[in-house]
Amino acid sequence: MSTTTPATTPAAPAPAPSATGRARRGLPPGLWQAAGPAAVFVVLFAVTAALQPAILSGVGPINLTTQATAVLLVALGQAAVLHVGSIDLSNAAAAVLGAMVLALALGPLAAAAPLVTLLVMALVGAVNGLLVAFTQVPSFALTLGTLGVLQAASLVVSDNTTVYASANGEVVSWLFIQAFAGLPVAFWFAVVVAVLFWLVLRRTSLGQALTAVGLNETAAVFSGLRTRWLKVAAFSFSGVMAGAAGICIISQAGAASSFGLGSDLLLPGIAAALIGGTAITGGRTNPVGVVFGALTVALIPITATALGVTPQARSLVYGVVVIAAVALTASRARGAVVK
Amino acid sequence: MSAPEVVRVSAPTPPSSPAPSVTTPPALSLTGVTKSFGPVHALRGVSLQLGRGEVLGLIGENGAGKSTLLKVLSGVHEPDSGALEVNGKPVRLRSPEDAARAGVGIVHQEQSLLTNLSVAENIAMTSGSRAKAATRFGVYRWGHLNRVAAQVLARIGVDVDPRTTVGDLSFVDRQMVEIARALQVDTGAHASPVLILDEPTSLLERDETAVLEREIRSLREIGSVVFVSHRLDEVMRICDRVVVMRHGEVVGDRRTSEVTEDELFRLMVGRDSRATPRERRSREDGGTAVLQVEGLTRGHAFRDVSFSVPAGTTTAIVGTNGSGREEVVRAVFGAEPFSSGALRVAGKDVGSWSVASAVRAGVAYIPSERRVEGMVGGLSAAENLVLTHPGEAKKGPLLRPRARRKVAETWFEDLDVRPRQPDLALERFSGGNQQKVVLAKWLSSPDLKVLVLDHPLRGLDPGASETVNAQIRAACARGTAVVLLPDTLEEALELGDEIIVMRDGEVTARFDTSRETPTALDLLEKMV
Repeated sequence: MSTTTPATTPAAPAPAPSATGRARRGLPPGLWQAAGPAAVFVVLFAVTAALQPAILSGVGPINLTTQATAVLLVALGQAAVLHVGSIDLSNAAAAVLGAMVLALALGPLAAAAPLVTLLVMALVGAVNGLLVAFTQVPSFALTLGTLGVLQAASLVVSDNTTVYASANGEVVSWLFIQAFAGLPVAFWFAVVVAVLFWLVLRRTSLGQALTAVGLNETAAVFSGLRTRWLKVAAFSFSGVMAGAAGICIISQAGAASSFGLGSDLLLPGIAAALIGGTAITGGRTNPVGVVFGALTVALIPITATALGVTPQARSLVYGVVVIAAVALTASRARGAVVK
Repeated sequence: MSAPEVVRVSAPTPPSSPAPSVTTPPALSLTGVTKSFGPVHALRGVSLQLGRGEVLGLIGENGAGKSTLLKVLSGVHEPDSGALEVNGKPVRLRSPEDAARAGVGIVHQEQSLLTNLSVAENIAMTSGSRAKAATRFGVYRWGHLNRVAAQVLARIGVDVDPRTTVGDLSFVDRQMVEIARALQVDTGAHASPVLILDEPTSLLERDETAVLEREIRSLREIGSVVFVSHRLDEVMRICDRVVVMRHGEVVGDRRTSEVTEDELFRLMVGRDSRATPRERRSREDGGTAVLQVEGLTRGHAFRDVSFSVPAGTTTAIVGTNGSGREEVVRAVFGAEPFSSGALRVAGKDVGSWSVASAVRAGVAYIPSERRVEGMVGGLSAAENLVLTHPGEAKKGPLLRPRARRKVAETWFEDLDVRPRQPDLALERFSGGNQQKVVLAKWLSSPDLKVLVLDHPLRGLDPGASETVNAQIRAACARGTAVVLLPDTLEEALELGDEIIVMRDGEVTARFDTSRETPTALDLLEKMV
């Protein structure tokens, strides 16, 4: 029982001067929000490079970006869903299912298989979105449910084993073999998606509508926006991104296992989105920041090794760095409200 | 009780206030209090005194400065200048806690009880030292808690079990619990608490009001009361003395035994008659009805509500809380469902009705909960402005920020929105300026047919009220049909071409003001 005062005073005419005279001294406002995720990555990378110069050369950058690609893809999907004020806990399980669908479809469909995979996963995401939008079940609970459903689907599809892409593996394997500017093509694809996503959010009316939903859903409804369909769009995008992550899994490993069921993507994906400066309360997302969020998440285990941390303690380092990074980059534009 | 040191300027003796007693200092004394918000002078040198055991009425139009004065008294705002004394001691109130420590408690217009907790818990939730006694090591002392709550409730003569969940209480009982909680302020051995009631009756039914009036009068025994209202009859019945505010100044200070309602009205509004300068538009020449509502029904919320609004006219709907008028207009906007009846906009029957389809049909809605429903505070003012009807600010799927800025700048100029920074987040603007932007958002529609206004002037300062009102009238003159839920009956009488009265979900009366001129009393009779 602390300081509960009847503080619900009616709309006070906010002192107008505060509107102008509030720019923070030093950094221009918004700069940290834009550059913070990159700065966090650069610092962590510099520390790692100082300890272990090897990561600067040879396969170091390739390994890092290869690790980061699938995480980046699911994180972009997650960021879109967070942007409209929801969360998608099923995206990693969807990625595994997507990988299995692709592995099975590659044989009969060959080059069309990746497209089919993306379509199927878009549908999965759309179902999530429709359920959230029209049943009003909170997305946290709903996608926790679909997470279970998708895991079961993976077990059924794979018959509880590992599914190998037995034929036409070359349709997707080049994504991580071909390189551009020294980094895998798949990573660049993900970066391009991030930039396009950024353009949609900042430069299109669709993006503005998504932002309005995330910041104040009621006001968005009352402005005549079709908020339900905007949510469906965000979840569908998350589904497509999960499908793309599934393609990465097959491209890298040539097989998808129902073991683990994507737990290596779910939390890293959320962490990457948050380190990327995405507000968990919605409406504030910088997809380019998410790129650095994903790179940071992929870098942490490498840094831990460079620091000589024992394998048992690696998740400790991971946890600490994630907390510190989110504390540094989290969007606090909404003051004390924390979910 | 520790009063912060303040240099006492002079003994405050406002000329017109009768000293209640020679020996004891007044319970509350204000001298030359000023407060400005940017260019808005909310208080311009307010001086007043509240005697021990006195019930002082504080009246004034919306934006007269009452709310600001209350916020100064309850420690929400610090005055720019002027002196405050409580029980003869100079005080500085920098927070509601300070106010509670000084012995000033406030009951806000909107109830602020936590409805899922018990009465005793709510009463304990003040910041005084008695509240601290309710817990030991952070753990509730339930026995003590309930005993203290029972004492406080008994003191003001309320028969409520302190263990009752607040949500189960009637509105009046909740209001009394609020008062009990506000009385939980610290008072010195010889001092009495000062209780401020901010329009406590505005949401009450008439018989409930009578109960509350009796309770308030009985509070004289234990303290002093500042009673804020804009219902003159009520003020005349309850208060010993009335202070009238207009444009941030005290323009009158009268004993209720020596003043008439008419005189108070004159002081409050600054003009003689309630007649309006506005030209009435005959509803017959209005031609086609832009909005037709026929037999609109939803369970007990509203039943068989019908009205039609011709182009260029205003229909004002009045009623008490629970009359169903809010639900009706929200149904018109598609924000709430209706089970039967018909809605026609510009003669077209609307099929499946949602906010999105209402907006496309040319219906606009300014909600009373502006911050929650009317605006996306985190977006810039310009972005809010073009959110619904982008017009120039959009080309294909792409936004055109420069065009958007231009559109916004024009609106900012027309509606005198300040500061002139359309790229600033809308939440940074003051309430009046936010409302102007919300209004502009709808006025920028190329095809505005129906404008639904739910308390459009609530919380606005006089300047903003005037601008918003002028824009609404201009839209009306251009042929928009306006549905208005006014703050006051006076507003309804002034603006409504037709006035519809609702009670318990049904229409009880309608007045065509081009043919007859009803009084506030005529409306009130049909409301309760």
